[in-house]
Amino acid sequence: MEHKKSKFRWGMIFIYLFIAIFAIITVFPFIYMILGGLMSYEETTTIPPTLIPSHWHFDNYAKVFAQAPFARYFFNTFITAATTTVVSLFTSILGAFAMVNLKFKGKGFIQLIFLSLLMVPGEAIIFTNYTTIMSMNLLNTYLGLVLPFLVSIFYMYYLQSYFTAISPTLYKAAMIDGASDWEYIWRILVPMSKGGLITVALLSFISGWNAFLWPLLVTNEDNMRLLNNGLAAFATDAGAQTQLQLAAATLTVVPVLIIYFIFRKQIIRGVVRNELKA
Amino acid sequence: MKQNQKKAWLFLAPALICVTVFSIWPIIRAFIMSFQGGPLINMQFNGFANYVYIFKDPDFWHAILNTAIYAFLAVPIGLIISIALAWWVFSKIKHQAFFKTMFFMPYVTSTIAIGIVFRYILNGKYGMLDFCLRAMHLPAPDWLDDPSMSIISLIIFGVWASLAFNIVILMGALRNIDPNYYVLADMYGASGREKFWRITMPQLVPTLAFLLTVNLIGAFKIYTQVYALFNGVAGQANSAMTAVFYIYNKFQVVGTPGVAMAATVVLFLFILFVTYLQRKLMKKVNS
Repeated sequence: MEHKKSKFRWGMIFIYLFIAIFAIITVFPFIYMILGGLMSYEETTTIPPTLIPSHWHFDNYAKVFAQAPFARYFFNTFITAATTTVVSLFTSILGAFAMVNLKFKGKGFIQLIFLSLLMVPGEAIIFTNYTTIMSMNLLNTYLGLVLPFLVSIFYMYYLQSYFTAISPTLYKAAMIDGASDWEYIWRILVPMSKGGLITVALLSFISGWNAFLWPLLVTNEDNMRLLNNGLAAFATDAGAQTQLQLAAATLTVVPVLIIYFIFRKQIIRGVVRNELKA
Repeated sequence: MKQNQKKAWLFLAPALICVTVFSIWPIIRAFIMSFQGGPLINMQFNGFANYVYIFKDPDFWHAILNTAIYAFLAVPIGLIISIALAWWVFSKIKHQAFFKTMFFMPYVTSTIAIGIVFRYILNGKYGMLDFCLRAMHLPAPDWLDDPSMSIISLIIFGVWASLAFNIVILMGALRNIDPNYYVLADMYGASGREKFWRITMPQLVPTLAFLLTVNLIGAFKIYTQVYALFNGVAGQANSAMTAVFYIYNKFQVVGTPGVAMAATVVLFLFILFVTYLQRKLMKKVNS
């Protein structure tokens, strides 16, 4: 009996230790990034490594902004992520409405195509899309950056599950009251699925913010770069200036982390709901 | 109400146009281009030459091998750690929301930015990891500059990044398990281990099959992680060359889009095959 009890305790200690170690491994890079971005160059490269900087070098951030057009990167990224989010939300709402509330010939076929396209990996089409954008003369333009992402089958499919949850009798009632489809969408459908729409908007904005491969392909002018491409180029150009690299990385990550901490429930719920249904 | 409401096409039009131009056409075009040679602006039909080229190209096989090693190590390791963390946080911890929020952080953050931090931590001279390893009198390899360590470093980075999604999905699935099973098991005096293997694991099978596929497909497509970890190159002496990195190089750097598309088609068919296997597996599990 006594033996069993002590074994039980060791098991619990192991479990808590395991969770604690992985919690530290998960969070440490973020903390270290923020701290490292405030160190002096010497502090980032000493042995033993510095954990807490002796002086908070906020001037690192001024240097980052002076060495690369990060303000411009922020602006570009915000514009493209926001445009993609708003437009793809709009097209997804319209598409999902048609798929849920309207009856038409070929609906099953369209649904089948959408479902098949969900399985196509983005990397398989990104290079040919580059060719398309190039032949449209849209390299190094905002339009080129956003065009292939103005519709998202993924989000449309996701919204369908929200719209299906709203009783179809509501649509019939609205039609009898003389409302148009347009009015039904914006007065009833959208307000009633606010939760789903906010989730889609957040996920879309975050993935737009973190976009890398596509902007890498379609932009090569410095003033059209997005944040992550600018960051990658900066990491190469800044060479050994570790503290500046870390400060720049912090700049990239913090806005998303703030959004994440504010909306963590919606974001996590959105991801789980999404995936468990698929 | 009318059975064929043609106005539906009006609402679907933006989606259909965009999907046709930027999803369906590119797939067809990739197939066509894989049978063409020459530069992007003037491509000519050259039969199976691109396919012959990639299958003879040792770099291609090297990239495939690296991708396979990465996928078949990083995915199971990541899944096992995720299951342990999800189950223990779910069954033993009171403040689950707090841990969930914390573990999910890597999912929303930029791979490039985190790559910079990892490069710093894994640095062979002044990195934190080697410092800790030396302090414990363990071997401290040069994670980034030693070509034989490249894939291992990439796996560490990949596992770290994959935990977030896996844990959150698994915890969602754990919550969906009928709590009465556990109540009943408690009544019969089942131990924690028995409950895990007899109730939790069988109930998790569909979720695990799903995560396995998603993770494998993600691993086959790995590119940004490599770029982030090795600062724009595929590791020292291309030691971390992966399939998509190979495609990117052939497409953009070397300027042989036909070869790149042949490799894309091979990768695409392979991913479709994995997806197909998963569907079949799921059907078997569900029936």
